[in-house]
Amino acid sequence: MYMSQLHVILPAKMDNLESFIQSLSRWLCQNGMATEKIPRVELAVEEALVNIIRYAYQGQAGDVELSGDIADDQRFVIEISDSGTPFDVSTLPKPDIHCSIRDRKIGGLGIFLLQRMVDELLYRREGDKNVLTMFICRNNGRSSSSRRDIHAGA
Amino acid sequence: MEIDVKKERQAVIIALTGRMDAVSAPQFDQTADDFIEQGKTQIIIDFKSLEYISSAGLQSVLALAKRLEPINGTVLLSDLNGAVKEVFEISGFSSIFPVFDNLDAAKASI
Repeated sequence: MYMSQLHVILPAKMDNLESFIQSLSRWLCQNGMATEKIPRVELAVEEALVNIIRYAYQGQAGDVELSGDIADDQRFVIEISDSGTPFDVSTLPKPDIHCSIRDRKIGGLGIFLLQRMVDELLYRREGDKNVLTMFICRNNGRSSSSRRDIHAGA
Repeated sequence: MEIDVKKERQAVIIALTGRMDAVSAPQFDQTADDFIEQGKTQIIIDFKSLEYISSAGLQSVLALAKRLEPINGTVLLSDLNGAVKEVFEISGFSSIFPVFDNLDAAKASI
């Protein structure tokens, strides 16, 4: 099967979220990602993009770049990069997911979900860019319990 | 995302269809705000036709529950399935909200 690459660069604006996700879904579908895994990948990418759109440029204009490729026989690799404030996703504390509605904080869930949706997640600062790399198995061979913990640094 | 609203005797039912993401979740917030202003305190969210939810959607559901709690209101969740159910389970929301298999069961609990 011929494998294509994904490459989309757009301004980091909420108006562009749909374009990013549609391009991603089409690419995943064309390259044989298991249908039931596509919403998981969409979720991981949406959470990363929304975080960049809301916080990376602190009110200034800037771009976000989404690229995808086939890592090996089993895995897809997706990279998301921006030139905003340095932000290592592995430094965020995990939310307490057991507390009551009253004590539960609004926010902090996005990165937690992102971490749970992918098989491996790496962050690196490359020059003036944040680069987030996600590896996702093509099929349902791995569960979240076998997921490797997040690694920081190159 | 489409939002269909049905007012019944014991509760307002908000049925969601499509995708609840960072772009569409504010529509839900607006709908929910309108009902709170009208004095409605029992709200059932019907997820039967929702295909996708992200943290923005979860935050909207949590924000609604937090607004209702001081006025003895309740948010009940009905018909979670597929990817949406998985996100509710991973986030712990399935254990802090009352969850029902279908609308009839949710209505019967009020």
